[in-house]
Amino acid sequence: MTSAMAQMRASSLAGALIPVVLALAIGAIVLAATGHDPLSVYRLMAVESFGGEKRLQATLSAATPLLLTGLATAVAFRTGIFNVGVEGCFYLGGIVAAGLGFWLVGWPSTLIIPVALLAAALIGGLWLLLPGVLKVRLGVDEVVTTLMLNFVAINLTSWLVNGPLLARGSANSATPAIQKAAELPRLLPLTTLNLGFAISILLVLLYGCWGRFTVAGFRSRLAGLNARFCRAVGIDVSSLVIRIMVLSGLIGGLAGGIHALGLVHRFVAGFSPGYGFAGIAIALLGRNSAIGIILAAIAFGALASAGATIQLFSDVPIEITQVLQGAVMILAVAKLGFGRGRGTAL
Amino acid sequence: MSDAGAAAVRVGARDISRRFGDVVANDRIDFGVAPGTIHAIVGGNGAGKSTLMRILQGLDRPDAGTVILDDRPVRLASPADAFAHGIGMVHQEFMLVPERTLLENMILAREPIVAGGIIDRAAARAAGERVAALAGAKLDWDMRAADTPVHLRQVLEILRLLYRDADVLILDEPTAVLAPAQIRELIALLRRLKQEGRTILFISHKLDEVMDASDVITVLRHGRVVGTMRPAETSNAQLVELMVGEPVELPTVTPAAAQGEPPLLSLEGLVARDGRGLKRLGPVDLALYRGEIVGIAGVAGNGQDELVACAAGLGTIESGAIFLDGAAITRAGTRRLRELGIGYLSADRAAEGLCLAASIRDNLIAGGEHRPPFSRAGLLRPAAIRAGAERALAGLSVQFGKLGDAVGSLSGGNQQRLAIAREFGRKPRILIAVQPTRGVDIAGIAFIHRQIVEFRNRGGAVLLVSEELDEILSLSDRIIGLHGGRITGELPRAAANLERVGRLMLGEAAA
Repeated sequence: MTSAMAQMRASSLAGALIPVVLALAIGAIVLAATGHDPLSVYRLMAVESFGGEKRLQATLSAATPLLLTGLATAVAFRTGIFNVGVEGCFYLGGIVAAGLGFWLVGWPSTLIIPVALLAAALIGGLWLLLPGVLKVRLGVDEVVTTLMLNFVAINLTSWLVNGPLLARGSANSATPAIQKAAELPRLLPLTTLNLGFAISILLVLLYGCWGRFTVAGFRSRLAGLNARFCRAVGIDVSSLVIRIMVLSGLIGGLAGGIHALGLVHRFVAGFSPGYGFAGIAIALLGRNSAIGIILAAIAFGALASAGATIQLFSDVPIEITQVLQGAVMILAVAKLGFGRGRGTAL
Repeated sequence: MSDAGAAAVRVGARDISRRFGDVVANDRIDFGVAPGTIHAIVGGNGAGKSTLMRILQGLDRPDAGTVILDDRPVRLASPADAFAHGIGMVHQEFMLVPERTLLENMILAREPIVAGGIIDRAAARAAGERVAALAGAKLDWDMRAADTPVHLRQVLEILRLLYRDADVLILDEPTAVLAPAQIRELIALLRRLKQEGRTILFISHKLDEVMDASDVITVLRHGRVVGTMRPAETSNAQLVELMVGEPVELPTVTPAAAQGEPPLLSLEGLVARDGRGLKRLGPVDLALYRGEIVGIAGVAGNGQDELVACAAGLGTIESGAIFLDGAAITRAGTRRLRELGIGYLSADRAAEGLCLAASIRDNLIAGGEHRPPFSRAGLLRPAAIRAGAERALAGLSVQFGKLGDAVGSLSGGNQQRLAIAREFGRKPRILIAVQPTRGVDIAGIAFIHRQIVEFRNRGGAVLLVSEELDEILSLSDRIIGLHGGRITGELPRAAANLERVGRLMLGEAAA
């Protein structure tokens, strides 16, 4: 490897690590200010997320939805599309998969799972078709459309689980539980780690190969760097943008479907604690690279799983993990401002 | 301005060096501009002109050496600091707010204000009239900058410096966008300002106007001063030799014989709009034949951008038709046009002609990535891509490290060679070349001109758009004038000269 390339790798690694280190420092200040010892809290968090097989599995399980929302976002970002609509796709995919999961009574696992996941992906893809077309045909900013569509999706699904899809006799806003056959098989007994994790990792790795070795991946990268150049050399950027938007939606919908069939086993109001938005931070932190997405998703998964248990063993409130998450997000985005802008000027 | 007359050097450099990594942009530069003179800086690409101007303007700081103002060494911290010392600059890219009026643009950053932070329009207008009278210029102050012709925008840029009390005016390539008559007006304006005691420093590639306008010429090469002389003591040929280091032979072009066959590309009644939806072109009829170079001469903004955009499949066509070999291709996309053999060399190398952030290899195959040998069944073939890129680079004499290096790391001239290599690598039948040598040094210009002429000699057709009249005159078999979006006339090569083409550009009959 030449020195220039080594330098680039090093700087991109530093670019990913600096926000994390700074976020930990900010978290330490918050902890110290509230009368906790930052080091011992961080040690406890590390132990809670990575110490032992079981805790590791909990971390990976928590990372599963983040892998896919991060991936869905990264696909769009690397093409120069600032899609922030993965959250909405996640909700829609979740409700569609859960709905099929309890309606398709008597179907075998080998049929019901693929059908439900496929439908979840399709609804996500269709959902982002509109912002893609609006961007290409009328120049409507995708940040606005995808962000607004999130609220439509969240409220639409919330209405559905409070009305037509509400489980009989349930006081909570939740659908009935899905069939046993529709549940994603667990990878190991007695944990929540399920087939969804394997699918997610596989898809992220596939994405890495796609970006590096395929014509579409080549075009997506060039379009992200300079869309006007791509048009001039004959790459159909408009159709590329629409297709990537749909692809991003497909992955976002699939993420919701896997979450419904793998972990929640139903759809409930407030289905996602912001997985779609965390996906933005993960894509930015991971620099849209496959390995980066995996590392960032696992880091965020660790925070989430440690946060849940940490308040059982200490008086540290769970909110500290949200402080850390928020700080990483802001710092990762701030980094973006230095490096490259979004898409092309004007 | 009062004490400026006392100094021997109003603005200058003493032993200034500036490095960027391994590149020495300025190497112990020494020069001084006497107050009340017009001083020209000439040099090829990468000679260090822009770096030096940035240092004089406080935008950059030297690694060693110092800026001299009024015979004293000074450290300039920022452009505002330079302004405080009376130094202002007109950049090559105009710094105007397009949606605002000329008056508003002039007072921007130093607005006359009455109580409550409200702009005193009357005072602003009075100030505008004052500086305009000073420069002997007339402007419609209420016109939006976007609607103002280019040469008046430039006048405004100069007036703005006067408004801000600059008595040293630095102009970066001020004539690049002007027609010959407008260049003469600009030079007259500069002379007027000089007579008032102001000091002018201007950068140019165009030796004729340098010889015409300046009192002293400083020549830079590879970051060093290689000569300082008065115009009377030198000649164009000597300046070129100093700039390049060795005499360069520009290709001599023999005009192609007229063809008796149907046109390869023809535009019929073409009307086109620009990106903002304004009608900029047409109706225009134009035919391009095999084995000829047709030069389009026009002042920037007179429809040539829309003309080439339509021919390259990137424009917004309102009406009319385009035929290739007799078949209509009016609304075919860029991809189809490129497959049919239309190559396009963009004027905007950094934003459209190349992808500076991508590698040399990626730039060379972009647009061909979906075809063999570069890919098969949607999968890229790295070995074939590498071989293809190496083949395209052979004979270009482009200095580069690796195929994986970003194109942005190459010099401007080498970038353009790369863009040309990509276009010719596709074996086009037609080349649309827009400002093919903008920002390229003389050796690079000769290379690019040779490539274009050889393509023509192989039977290719070239539509050449350039703001360099010399380029149009030396390459074109036919010259077509464009003004206000319409064709003002056509001159065969034999009948063309600077004066006649200049008149076509201004919308007058060529006669």
